[in-house]
Amino acid sequence: MTIEAIITMILIFGICLGGFILFLYLSSKEN
Amino acid sequence: MTKSETFSRWGIIFAGIGMAIGTGNLWRFPRIASQYGGGAFMIAWIVFLFIWAIPLLTVELALGKKIRMGVIGSFGKMMGRKYAWMGTFVAFVTAAITFYYTVVTGWCIKYLFATCFQGLIRKEPIQYWETFSSSWEPVGFHFLAVFVGCTIIYFGVVKGIERANKILIPSLFVLLLIAVGRSLTLPGAVQGLNFLFSPNLSQLGNIKVWLNALSQAAWSTGAGWGLMLTLGVYSRKKENPLLTTATLGFGNNMASLLAAAAVIPTVFSFFAGQNLAQEKVMDIMKQGNEGLTFKWIPILFSKIPSGNFFLALFFLALCFAAFSSLITQLELISRIFMDTGLTRKKAVVIVGICCFALGLPSALSMGFFNNQDWVWAMGLVVSGSFFLVLVLKVGPRKLREEIITRPEHKIRLGRWFDFLVTFFLPVQIIAMLAWWFWDSYSTSPGNWWNIFSKTSIGTVLFQWAAALGVFMIFNKLITKRLYLDKNDD
Repeated sequence: MTIEAIITMILIFGICLGGFILFLYLSSKEN
Repeated sequence: MTKSETFSRWGIIFAGIGMAIGTGNLWRFPRIASQYGGGAFMIAWIVFLFIWAIPLLTVELALGKKIRMGVIGSFGKMMGRKYAWMGTFVAFVTAAITFYYTVVTGWCIKYLFATCFQGLIRKEPIQYWETFSSSWEPVGFHFLAVFVGCTIIYFGVVKGIERANKILIPSLFVLLLIAVGRSLTLPGAVQGLNFLFSPNLSQLGNIKVWLNALSQAAWSTGAGWGLMLTLGVYSRKKENPLLTTATLGFGNNMASLLAAAAVIPTVFSFFAGQNLAQEKVMDIMKQGNEGLTFKWIPILFSKIPSGNFFLALFFLALCFAAFSSLITQLELISRIFMDTGLTRKKAVVIVGICCFALGLPSALSMGFFNNQDWVWAMGLVVSGSFFLVLVLKVGPRKLREEIITRPEHKIRLGRWFDFLVTFFLPVQIIAMLAWWFWDSYSTSPGNWWNIFSKTSIGTVLFQWAAALGVFMIFNKLITKRLYLDKNDD
């Protein structure tokens, strides 16, 4: 696997998983 | 709204994720992502999550929460009853999609049965699909899908939709993780991941990549369908629409990524060690949704160790994804009947009968199915534009400050929302429609006007115009049935 593909994979998964966990946390905190 | 008709905090998140995750995540995303530049496509797809899906879903949820009526009632109350026909069109587009989506759900059930009990993996999949799709069997499975979907919503919001999604969504993620684990341990899987995530940034200059990313973000998250609005009817007063829709948007994208990480490395593994593996994979990906799922997936799984088990797992995940979306679609139609004063039970029975009857032509004819998919999938862009007209008529700032946000909300939409809906979203809609019309015209320039062709611009415009004409003519009658004439603001 190329280094560019690894970085892109980490970035894309990171944004989606990170966003999901962040907003789950924020919504549980606000409610 | 009684307590039994109001989602819990987690209930609406599960229901929202269930609404968004559908068969499109499992069969469309891996195909489109690999066709349009892999990593570059995904960058564009995440951009549209922020500037299309989350803003539109937030508007929908806030409207449902404020008005406490289905799509038609919400348009009528927010814009005045003479504009309620826009809501009727939005509801009809989603209903028209539901009529053939129940057929697709039926196919998924059939293939799950066939894998578990009829040894599908040992049969010749292409011939098996041809025999199945040209028989009466799809009608039986279409009935089963409608029956199961209506039974779930018959029990109401908390006991039906919330409970079903609390089982379906975590199970779906577990199934996807198992499938990813299997696919990544196959020989040649790394080439698949490399192919899927190679950024190829030059593709970001290709308009087709952006337009396909927009269409995937719009269709996959359910933005502009009126589904989130329907779920919003049952939300709690203090619900923060922005947080809920952002959570489901990212959750939906995670499911798509997991599906792609399960499917693409498996396809590569099949061709491992062969010359021109990438070209062969692209040929499969160009086969379309049914081609990939019902013809190629059984072939691919037949070649891997414990293939039968993992094929059953794949179709089980597909069934879960299909039902989690289908129940919200059925609820959208039922909600409108309930707004006329009918009880839930009566409304669900009527919706069940209508869905079965109006889905029959798609169950019996692939030609009719493809025509309906062609016409109404694109109709969603018009639905999205009607939501935008609503926002612009009410005023983006007023909507943001008085309807979307409550004083106790800490996380709020900023002024960027006003700019986005006033300038950015209209440009996106016009660009998408213009590109689609041009692309369709250039594919068959001599036949674009033919209303009897399965996939022409003519058939789309004719069916859209017919639906809009009928809804405008009967607008007064429809608004009267929904009691909007007595409550018009």
